[in-house]
Amino acid sequence: MQFSNISKIAVVLVSLALLIAVPWIASDYFVMMCIRVMYFGMLTLSLCFLAGELGVVSLMQASFFGISGYFIAIMQTRYQIPFPIPPLVGIGVAVLFAALTGLLVIRARGIYFLMLTLVLGQLVWALASQWASVTRGDSGITDIFAPVIFGISTEKSKGAFYLFELFFFCAVIYFLAALKRSPFGLMLRGIRDSESRMAMLGYPVSLLRYMAFIFAAFVASIGGVFFAYFTGLINPHSVSLTTNVETLLSGILGGIQTLFGAILGTAILKILDLVLSGITQRYLLIMGVLFLITIMFAPRGAAGALKRLWDGFASRTLGSGSPAGGVSDDPFYEDTK
Amino acid sequence: MSLLVIMSLLNGLTLAALLFITASGLTLSFSLMRVVNLTHGALYMAGGFIGVSVIKVTGSWLLALLAGGSVMAILALLEEKFLLRWARGNDLIETLISLSVAIIIGDLVLVIWGGYPKSIEIPAMLNGVLTIPLINLVYPIFRIFMLGLSVLIIVALWLFLKKTNLGVTIRAGVDNFEMVSALGINVRRLFTVVFCLSGFLAGVAGVVGGTSMMLVVGEDWRILTLTLIVIIIGGMGSLGGTIVGALITGLIYSFATAYIPEFSLFILFLPVAIILSIRPHGLFGAKA
Repeated sequence: MQFSNISKIAVVLVSLALLIAVPWIASDYFVMMCIRVMYFGMLTLSLCFLAGELGVVSLMQASFFGISGYFIAIMQTRYQIPFPIPPLVGIGVAVLFAALTGLLVIRARGIYFLMLTLVLGQLVWALASQWASVTRGDSGITDIFAPVIFGISTEKSKGAFYLFELFFFCAVIYFLAALKRSPFGLMLRGIRDSESRMAMLGYPVSLLRYMAFIFAAFVASIGGVFFAYFTGLINPHSVSLTTNVETLLSGILGGIQTLFGAILGTAILKILDLVLSGITQRYLLIMGVLFLITIMFAPRGAAGALKRLWDGFASRTLGSGSPAGGVSDDPFYEDTK
Repeated sequence: MSLLVIMSLLNGLTLAALLFITASGLTLSFSLMRVVNLTHGALYMAGGFIGVSVIKVTGSWLLALLAGGSVMAILALLEEKFLLRWARGNDLIETLISLSVAIIIGDLVLVIWGGYPKSIEIPAMLNGVLTIPLINLVYPIFRIFMLGLSVLIIVALWLFLKKTNLGVTIRAGVDNFEMVSALGINVRRLFTVVFCLSGFLAGVAGVVGGTSMMLVVGEDWRILTLTLIVIIIGGMGSLGGTIVGALITGLIYSFATAYIPEFSLFILFLPVAIILSIRPHGLFGAKA
């Protein structure tokens, strides 16, 4: 893409201004939709970060999302601990859990990684569903109230909640974008493309992968905070395989390589969810079929298709830009055979 | 106290046998085709529900067993022929395809058989209890039959793999795939056979499991999780390891269900974590 730096900054500023203006110019319904897309978007971002930078597919990101949500719920409803502590502890515990599980999964690649994370995610789900004395089992914990910030109750005002979340959402995107551009991100991509070469050059390959896993869990757990506060309820569904697969589907729908794709995919799936829930109860069936079709026919997703269109357009009209022909259709860049 | 111990032991052994039957198909198809077939749990559940319907119509338990197995074999065949072959060679995409098929089958089962827990009726001749002498334990006859039948299936599978030509070819393919294909053996046919076989085994396990346990919504993912744990513990591609993994998983799960029901599944985190940190490829797994 051929943008100058100034026009890039202008685009970012204008879209930022539009995003901030949403509570004043859009309907409550739209604001609520944006809130949902943002917290699920953070979950998808964490999955896409791992897929894009490490080339692995994780089926346990929802566990970190749910763990922070559960800790907020338990600390707030059981022990009445005041605001800034529950989310901080929740995120902290989720990151600690990632540090523990990361030790187990980080040596695995490809389908081993997928299989291990699936099992670990299912074990977390089992804990949420069976440990009824703490998690209240399948019915979950209700009455989680959003905090008061600068004297404004985000529980009552959806616009305030939106702005509160938007701030962290933008921070997360900035964090991930900076991470991708930093030497750390470059090293990760080096590992993804040729692990043996990076190891030979003296980079601490396992440590870098481990850190990426923890960063991803951190992002997912921030999403979980807003999920718990906005819905006011947390139950085992939030850590279930269904949620994990939905996240993966969002990522693949939007295009797993880019941050923008993650958000786009989440928005597509959440709008679809909203439309379908009014018509049919067979959401899972439709999701499964959609997943199958996407993975078989468009594994690079909507963002990939858009980019290919743009590249084709750019190369035809401007005589520049690289057509995506050289890159394989595999969204995960697997080269470890 | 000892009664609960013995009950848990017998239940654990039955579960271990069931898990071995499902896991053996998974591990064979994995080592041959490098696909973790995540449809396996769904095939187990669908097979069990087909058993429920067949026994309602015909009243024959044996027919239910065969029908559950055969229909799942056909389903696995269709999945392999029309979906997985599409992405042959890209194991990650193949695995994700199998995941989406599992979701579709799981929801279709919900549409067809409804969300209420069901169980396959115990055949009349097996209904009753047996008093085990010496320890005076009363135990349902059919559960002992289940245990015997599962062991029989394991022995039959073992004989098939050790003695028949096809079985020997499959084992050879597991050990050295390139050599087998270089010898001019039809590899595609071999893939299809193994996939059918593993589908059949999953369906049969579903009928057996549906008789001794309940068939409920979500059972597909529970069985898949347990089966994957068996393989993680035992190591990919090793049938001996699968037996050890199934015994560890089945017994721990069964004892945990009896003594600490709130953690019955989560407790399996321990063996998985311990074994993965000592032997990343499982107890008997070769480095891939």
